[in-house]
Amino acid sequence: MNVNRRKKPASVNPLKIGQSLGAVLALQGCYRAMPLIHGSQGCSAFPKALLTRHFREPIAVQTSALQEMDVIFDANRNLEEALNLVLSKHRPDIIGIIGTELTDVAGVDYQTMLKTYKRERNMRGGLAFSVVLPDFRGSLESGYSATVEAMIDEMIQQAGHKGSRSVNTRQITLLPGSFLTPADVMELKEMIASFGFEAIALPDISTSLSGHLLTGFSPLTRGGVPLDSMLQSLQSGLTIAIGGSMERPARRLHNALGTPYKVFGGAMGLKASDELLYFLHQISGEPVPVRYCWQRENLLDTMLDAHFQFAGMSALAALEPDHLYSVSGWLTELGVEQKALIASYETPLVAGMDREIWIGDLDDAEVLGKGADLWISNSHGLAGAGRNGAAFMPAGFPVWSELGAYMSVSVGYRGALEWTNKAGNLLMQREAGRREDRIRHR
Amino acid sequence: MDPVRQDEFDSEACGSIAPKAKPCPRPKPGEAAGGCSFDGAQITLLPIMDAAHLVHGPIACAGNSWESRGTLSSGPSLSQYGFATDLTDSDIIFGGEKKLKESIDYIAGRFAPPAIFVYSTCVTALTGEDMDAVCKTAAERIGIPVIPVNSPGFVGSKNLGNRLAGDALLQYVIGTGEPEPGTPLGVNLIGEYNIAGEMWDIEKLMNSAGISVTSRITGDARYKEITWAHRAKVNMVVCSRALLGLAREMESRYGIPYFEGSFYGAKETTYSLRQMAYLMNDREMERRVDRLTEREEARLSQDLRPYRKLLKGKRAVLYTGGVKSWSVISALKELGVQVVGVGTNKSTEDDVRRIADRVGDDTEYIPEGGASRILKTVKERKADIMIAGGRNMYVAMKEQIPFIDINQERHKAYAGYEGVLRLAKELTYSLANPVWKLAASPAPWDREGPAYER
Repeated sequence: MNVNRRKKPASVNPLKIGQSLGAVLALQGCYRAMPLIHGSQGCSAFPKALLTRHFREPIAVQTSALQEMDVIFDANRNLEEALNLVLSKHRPDIIGIIGTELTDVAGVDYQTMLKTYKRERNMRGGLAFSVVLPDFRGSLESGYSATVEAMIDEMIQQAGHKGSRSVNTRQITLLPGSFLTPADVMELKEMIASFGFEAIALPDISTSLSGHLLTGFSPLTRGGVPLDSMLQSLQSGLTIAIGGSMERPARRLHNALGTPYKVFGGAMGLKASDELLYFLHQISGEPVPVRYCWQRENLLDTMLDAHFQFAGMSALAALEPDHLYSVSGWLTELGVEQKALIASYETPLVAGMDREIWIGDLDDAEVLGKGADLWISNSHGLAGAGRNGAAFMPAGFPVWSELGAYMSVSVGYRGALEWTNKAGNLLMQREAGRREDRIRHR
Repeated sequence: MDPVRQDEFDSEACGSIAPKAKPCPRPKPGEAAGGCSFDGAQITLLPIMDAAHLVHGPIACAGNSWESRGTLSSGPSLSQYGFATDLTDSDIIFGGEKKLKESIDYIAGRFAPPAIFVYSTCVTALTGEDMDAVCKTAAERIGIPVIPVNSPGFVGSKNLGNRLAGDALLQYVIGTGEPEPGTPLGVNLIGEYNIAGEMWDIEKLMNSAGISVTSRITGDARYKEITWAHRAKVNMVVCSRALLGLAREMESRYGIPYFEGSFYGAKETTYSLRQMAYLMNDREMERRVDRLTEREEARLSQDLRPYRKLLKGKRAVLYTGGVKSWSVISALKELGVQVVGVGTNKSTEDDVRRIADRVGDDTEYIPEGGASRILKTVKERKADIMIAGGRNMYVAMKEQIPFIDINQERHKAYAGYEGVLRLAKELTYSLANPVWKLAASPAPWDREGPAYER
């Protein structure tokens, strides 16, 4: 309804994450992939360190290691060198070349270069694509969805128009948004599969960043959706996108192949889960599995138990746009006052929300959300929450102040239950702490 | 045996004040690891805790990096704020100088810091913005120092960034202030960033020997104390070659003698304290240091006894990516841990010489990065534990190799005598953890065994 910005020249305590990090994240969900950031060393070192800290997993990423003179004279020489080395040494199935603000401002044309490179080397069998992601636009979410779109584009081109497409109506392509944890993606795949469908998640971080013990070191990604499954997904009878940002890749599949698609803004909370399961029930004709019926009752019972705790409480959330939409929906169901909702950048989904939205940083969260009892943001919000005396609930990216953040579930009834209990517990602990303070100071 | 090729160490100039034409080896595209100069500059300057640090560029340079370094503060927290000009498309096209000016004014007005450091990034360097001029006029306008740090990511490695940050301190900060009359003058600690609070352990030790710290460059520092760093009597460069240039320049400008030392390991700590007292030219202080170090070493060896027994003969691969390689070896040797492999990736010739002095002949040198290379050494040398930076931590976990984090993101302090004890404890906890056995044994259904009998 209302999108606002606070007037200040500098960003203070940024909420935004570089787009290229989103691209690296998307590629972690593909098997034997190598994201190659076309920029200076830091452009890949920072995302690598940040993703490693959040997921507590090794992260595959490489860089063209641009230096001043390379940028001025011929940046693509570095890219070619990097490609040669990565291809000959590791033979990845998928290479995503990620253009940064540095190559963008310098006006480096690496798309044409990549095309020539592929033709000259007669590169076949693998998937190599490029995507332009300067950091002065968008955030993690837009970088992630643009990368999935570029990947799908390349898949479609590679598959070509070999006769008419055979459609497998029992197969669904799942496009999970960037805000979903590996456990979320797993949960969604299970939900879809429980109605008798085969689900191919694109990308699939549930099998790459969820913690596995595959030994034998590889600088490429371990786990994730393999290339043949990715190409097979072009035969899916339906695309399900989770998160408004995933509509574009879904539409790409629709425009090129005619695959119908359904976009869910989110899958968090009772209503959103109801919608998703009802939809799956309708398109499959199968009854909703009894475990989800149980989970629904569990959730409602939890909400009844917890409603005393949430009564009169207020919250602020500072997250990526799609995530904010989901979390806001869940907070509404709990009857919690939403003191401030801050998104990292503006998207149609948040602009269309029935609430006041602020585009800003964590400093805005601190100012606008003064007095909120619960603070929901990435780990950078810890200090601000402390200054405001709010209970801090880490969510989004990056979360390093808590173990197992990547395994926490937010989707489905189970996710809503987990979040409701977690938030309620945090509020209870805060209250207990305050009581103690009062006694001590008397 | 000649373990290291000469040509891998053409990087010595990184530590000197005048870089040669090619200051650092070019990173290899497709196989480069580690941060950029921008990162390095921030590592050096962010520990100035009460200052504001403003990144002039698109969001990622600040957004992806703030709060990621383990430097701790005993009070002010402004340096932990992430400030960025957050340039957009139109700022790039029309120039970001206006936004920079407004951002500086905004920060000065709202947070009233004693100084603002402004960092250039690749983009603002490329578009040719005159950051120095903007900072200069801003400083005049608002009446506090506004220091430009010209260390965009693409000029080179992290180490070069450390050095460029040192240059900024020399040019704009050191020598601009005077200590209060009566302040006891002593030692500047250069290149100690108070990772995990190490600075506090060191300062406690120095104080008990009666040595005062004049300026901390820059662990848990306040801006003001760096302005009077030129009044110190001695400079100690804490196992960091990147800021050697700073020490050299201060020697020639202000006549302050310097030495390179370390606080990792009891022997190195004792040496460093002795060296300080010696360079202070104070007999009484030297005697105090002797008494202190004797007492501390005796107590330490008592405390270490149970751990030594467990650690004796254990084999470690050390990959710290540079500065700490030689100094940590001493600490490990004191614990009876054998270093069977050591990274020389970013070490200078001097560093390698120091490493060679401290390790046995059969220690493998790992000249180039890459997790696979480190793992190879761990396996071939049958190492019990890997000691490296956070980025390699989860690689080790996948291979089920005990691991200790030694780099700037870590949360444990290993400096001084107490640090040695802490390191011994950490090594023991890590090696003795039951998880290694549990992870190595298969699930019951994967085990070969007799069929279940009813």
